[in-house]
Amino acid sequence: MSRMTETAMTKPGAAAPAAKKSVAARRRSRGNALDSTLGRSALQILAVVGFFLLWEVAVDIGWANAFLVGQPSGILGVLVSSIADGSLFVDAGYTVFEALLGFAFGTVIGSLIGLSLWYSVFVARLTEPFIAAINSVPKIALAPIIILWFGTGLTSKVALAVSLTAIVALITAYQAAKDADKDLQALLFSMGADKHRIFKKVIVPSTLPAIIATFRINIGFALVGAVVGEFISSQHGLGHLIYTASSLYDLNSVWAGLFVLMLVGFVFYHLVELTERWLLPWKQEQHSTQINV
Amino acid sequence: MAPKVQLRLNGIRKSFPGKSEPVKVLDGLTFDIHEKDFVSIIGPSGCGKTTVFNVIAGLAEPDEGMLLYRGQEVENLRGRVGYMMQKDLLFPWLTVLDNVLLGLDAKGVSPAEARDTAREYISTFGLSGFENAYPKMLSGGMRQRAALIRTLVLDPDILLLDEPFSALDYQTRLYLEAVLLEAVETFNKTVILVTHDIDEAVALSKRVVVLSHRPTTVKSVHDIDLSERSPIAARSDPRFSGYFHTLCAELDIQTRATA
Ligand SMILES: Nc1ncnc2c1ncn2[C@@H]1O[C@H](COP(=O)(O)OP(=O)(O)O)[C@@H](O)[C@H]1O
Ligand SMILES: [Mg+2]
Repeated sequence: MSRMTETAMTKPGAAAPAAKKSVAARRRSRGNALDSTLGRSALQILAVVGFFLLWEVAVDIGWANAFLVGQPSGILGVLVSSIADGSLFVDAGYTVFEALLGFAFGTVIGSLIGLSLWYSVFVARLTEPFIAAINSVPKIALAPIIILWFGTGLTSKVALAVSLTAIVALITAYQAAKDADKDLQALLFSMGADKHRIFKKVIVPSTLPAIIATFRINIGFALVGAVVGEFISSQHGLGHLIYTASSLYDLNSVWAGLFVLMLVGFVFYHLVELTERWLLPWKQEQHSTQINV
Repeated sequence: MAPKVQLRLNGIRKSFPGKSEPVKVLDGLTFDIHEKDFVSIIGPSGCGKTTVFNVIAGLAEPDEGMLLYRGQEVENLRGRVGYMMQKDLLFPWLTVLDNVLLGLDAKGVSPAEARDTAREYISTFGLSGFENAYPKMLSGGMRQRAALIRTLVLDPDILLLDEPFSALDYQTRLYLEAVLLEAVETFNKTVILVTHDIDEAVALSKRVVVLSHRPTTVKSVHDIDLSERSPIAARSDPRFSGYFHTLCAELDIQTRATA
């Protein structure tokens, strides 16, 4: 009965919206209901909780050896006590400070050298093989010498982070400067601009996106430099925490240090993203086309 | 009365290094640009039209020949020309306003004064409201209009327009041709326009210079005498098609299907 009244009530004009709705519904049904910010976050949290739960239980029932792999409850205990006595903040603070200083100096020094190579083709060609040679050395291998030269304190960690980050920034900046749009340079030149003005107006802004792209890689490298420096010789820092704990077979403290390091890296990465958006407003997409396959 | 010569190109030669031997591109190019002239240069593709502009603008040095500007020998007209190319060459990291200001603050105009001038031009050319937009937000026609504003605001002695509208659709092109003509009229500018569009050359120009194949010389110069110079009215002038066919013949383009 209700079917009949429905049919009777359907007017020609009502058919269109109904049809439109069904198309929209079909389009929506193509995507996954869980494929939303909320749904994804829920799944991610579920995966993490499940992982730690499995780990905890596996150790409890004897599938895994707590002495060799640690246990989430123990890790939590370490985190809570080291937060309570403040030692975690001290260690994390040291590592973050070393990495940030190394990142900042490395990026600035590297970018400046890379950009200045644009000024002189002669100097650039002259130094190219040396730069390639330096780049091919695994900079971590320099760590013992750097500790020898700069001591066991802050300076050596920063120096190590600089050695890792500067070369990346240098090569990227130089390459981007070389690749800067020749027509834009020609246009400014025809307006009467000198080399310095072309540098300021074209070279610097067009290398900026490339330099900022190195931030992502270099923030990671800076952390590597800081932590490896701390491994070799230090009194503080997350690297120090991890290294000393592992030599005492205190796996829970090792994990605690690693997870905090992970968190630091995660926060850095997102800060870089914010910086990029702030420094390159002209790069932001107005609208993006999504391809549904 | 003979028109006054503003710029004379005299025997310009230029070759570029080729695979085995240098490629002769410009082979003794000589022609005059009059005061307040509007000259179109047409010629086969690759014959060196852009190279001529680069020589005038100081982006390329001629191997031989000289430029005379109002009777004085000059090396080039760098800093005194407004160069506009097929690509709009707006700086993607600058807003429309800052793009327009690009040349002005080099000229030693005070920043406040430069800003006022720039805004005035932007509004004259109908881009008000887009001062703070980045180029990628604009349509192709609007971008080329912004590039035209940037060129005009410098108050250059000569405009060098290298196929400025060829990437645009026909409607936008007609519109920008009208904008250009009006601007040239208002600001009393001398224009050299490179185009591959004979239609455009006849409709806009006072004179048309036809270049030969490489090695390039001036093949002929034609005075265009139409009752009206506006993109649409000129195209409906009875003499228009006569000029059109003459120039096509000069370029060896077949305009009639003959067996
Ligand atoms: N910088 C350059 N180096 C080498 N060859 C060039 C250079 N500029 C132009 N040419 C050559 O000169 C010829 C004319 O180029 P161009 O002036 O751009 O021609 P058009 O603008 O008439 O199409 C072309 O064959 C081109 O390859
Ligand atoms: Mg060309």
